[in-house]
Amino acid sequence: MTNTGFRKVLRRREFTVLGLIVLLVVLFSLTTERFMSVSNLSNLLLQLAGTAISAIGMTMVIITGGIDVSVGSTLGMASVVAGKLLVGGYSPFLVLLSALGTGLVIGLFNGTLIAFGNVPPIIVTLGMMSILRSLMYQLLGGRWISGIPPAIRVIGLGKWLGVPISMWITVVLIAFFTYFLSSRPLGRAIYAVGNNPEAARVSGIDLRRTTLFVYAILGALAGFAGLVYVARTGIVQTNTGSGFELEVIAAVVLGGTSILGGRGTIIGSLLGAFLVGIIKNGMVLLNVPALSEGLVVGVLIILSVMIDVIRARGERS
Amino acid sequence: MEYILECRKIFKSFGGVQALRGVDFTLRSGEVHALVGENGAGKSTLIKIISGALLPDRGDIFYMGQPVRIDSPRKAQEIGISTVYQEPLVYSELSVLENIFLGREIRTPWGNIDWKREEEQARSLFASLGLPHHFLREPMGELSVGLQQLVLIAKALVYEAKVIIFDEPTAILTEHETERLFTIIRKLRDQGVGIIYISHRLEEIFRIADRVTVMRDGEVRGEFPITAVDRAKIVELMAGKLLVEEIARRGVKGDHPLLSVQGLTRRPRFFDISFDLFPGEILGFFGLVGSGRTDVAQTIFGLFRPESGKVFFDGREVSFGSPEEAMQAGIAYLPEDRKVQGLFPIQSVAYNISVAILRELVRRLGIVDVRKERDIAEKHIRELNIKTPNLKTRVYSLSGGNQQKVVLAKWLSVTPKLLILDEPTRGIDVASKSEIHNLIAHLADQGLAIMVISSELPEILKMSDRVIVMHEGRITGVFEGPEKTAENIIRAATGERMAVTGGVGV
Repeated sequence: MTNTGFRKVLRRREFTVLGLIVLLVVLFSLTTERFMSVSNLSNLLLQLAGTAISAIGMTMVIITGGIDVSVGSTLGMASVVAGKLLVGGYSPFLVLLSALGTGLVIGLFNGTLIAFGNVPPIIVTLGMMSILRSLMYQLLGGRWISGIPPAIRVIGLGKWLGVPISMWITVVLIAFFTYFLSSRPLGRAIYAVGNNPEAARVSGIDLRRTTLFVYAILGALAGFAGLVYVARTGIVQTNTGSGFELEVIAAVVLGGTSILGGRGTIIGSLLGAFLVGIIKNGMVLLNVPALSEGLVVGVLIILSVMIDVIRARGERS
Repeated sequence: MEYILECRKIFKSFGGVQALRGVDFTLRSGEVHALVGENGAGKSTLIKIISGALLPDRGDIFYMGQPVRIDSPRKAQEIGISTVYQEPLVYSELSVLENIFLGREIRTPWGNIDWKREEEQARSLFASLGLPHHFLREPMGELSVGLQQLVLIAKALVYEAKVIIFDEPTAILTEHETERLFTIIRKLRDQGVGIIYISHRLEEIFRIADRVTVMRDGEVRGEFPITAVDRAKIVELMAGKLLVEEIARRGVKGDHPLLSVQGLTRRPRFFDISFDLFPGEILGFFGLVGSGRTDVAQTIFGLFRPESGKVFFDGREVSFGSPEEAMQAGIAYLPEDRKVQGLFPIQSVAYNISVAILRELVRRLGIVDVRKERDIAEKHIRELNIKTPNLKTRVYSLSGGNQQKVVLAKWLSVTPKLLILDEPTRGIDVASKSEIHNLIAHLADQGLAIMVISSELPEILKMSDRVIVMHEGRITGVFEGPEKTAENIIRAATGERMAVTGGVGV
């Protein structure tokens, strides 16, 4: 009995990813001098926080069988709003609310079109990605936002017990949403919707509300990640957050969340985010041209979805 | 209160089609009330109204003596009306426990899901049904279909169901699973649950039901205590006319076998399978689900490689590496699950018929010859009597029987020499069934060799010139002529190895 239990743990995707992380950490610390340095590791954690926070929401969206490719632009849009308000001298609390609010509104918009308009998620969010990007261009007029007041930058750069504050926030969010997905009825309903929408409908689960909910939460979390981004870098540009969606989706998919819906964990996505982050970081340290970083992430996404699909096929027969 | 559920003068129409015309239906606590009728008779519509998926246009529903308006599946469940569908609606990734309680979780004071109490309650439920309960924490997907269905019954009991609707529950069950289901249905009935039981298998109705209501064309044609009616009467009411169970054959069996299988083995599915099939012959394959019939057919068709044994087709030894090769040689296989393997539901009738021969329809420059496509489709629609408004109608909107005919037309368009039919009339109404049977006989008379796999004994007896019976992967009997009796076939199918008679090459 314990034997099969242990085997189940071994077979889980999270375990594979953890193994890969350990392997890469060993590899990079042997091949580069700087990888294991405190400054590099804390830099890595700082960069990971935004990805991990958005990946929480993305995990829920993908579990319902959906996708959101507008997270990068949502993050960008929220950082424009936050950046403008910060430079304008508004209180950090108001800025926090605005960043969350921007993301939430975008998420609600996506969710409404998907849940009530029956437009496929990939189309809605692809359109949203483009719309937001051009709005950002309008708002910024081709200029950068800089000169962010130092007080707020503690969210992005500060540390507590040697770990970045943004990472602590991430951990709290992950703990909360893991609890939510495993123990709250609405959290379980998210799995049900992705696994078998027809059955969910017949069981009286409100498909539309559940769908709206996951996109809204993802929007709000991406908005928050935008604020964290501004606080960390101190700069907002028109292309802020572009390509970020790929990183988030990669983290979630690598972490074992099924693109077919119904299966996945937030812890897995966190591990996935670490894996992607470490690969990117290590490749920079190894002086591999920046192009191959995208190559590796792309290949990993396709590979892990292939494994997912093959596994689903095996279960059907 | 005589009835737990009472439907009075229910009317429902879709567009211009009147699906129900003043239907009365009653159910007592502690009885099994069977509902039968062809597809399109209105039973699905009635069930959807009772289970909250549809609202009636007119008419009244009384539940426990009170008028009710059941406006959603959720409402139905909450007042105690649960439905167990033909294909269990499950969350394969979630645990059995969650499948039972989703939507009606037991909560802790904090509002969290109380897994412990859910498990306790599930255990006692399963114990009361006489079921094992060691798998409560396993993912639902790891259970057999039969067990999944029983889990859904447990779910109905969590909702304190007073009425449970079974919609063709045995269509996908094995014999053993069916027996277990019947035991549980009887138990539920004895506990006072009212049960509505829908099935195309009339034998089952005589085994399990207390009362039977026959529907046709949106009306109730008769309601009887089961003891006051026989099979012939029910079929007569369903079809509107008595269907002849004999089929006229002209008998033009060829002299040389078209297909000859020798010692074919693919462990663990089947072992040492040998038989011959002649042009103009209909060879029936009977056996319980899992006996290996379908595996043999699919191996001949090139979907799987055999481990050993030989297949001769049309005079030469063959070993098809893929279905395409088998089709090229002249074999067509009509799969068991027409929805998954046989049809493109959102495409037109014409598309579905011609999709297997697109390559032959190509004109110059790789353009499909639309006129030829239309001609072929029209020819088959006429010959098979497919009831469709026109060629462009999307297949999903046709009835089950007509969908099956479209699949048949698709395979006939490739002009095969050997036609393998796997459960050709499953889930199809009586009249279409009979029509398909006649078609198959007609095809055989034209010289096609036909292999029919079926779980329905009457079908096998009616159709086949010769019957091969399989049990657990082996041939346990071959019957022909006067030996071809229900008793012989059932004995062989349950594992009793029979003296092999008649036929060739076994």
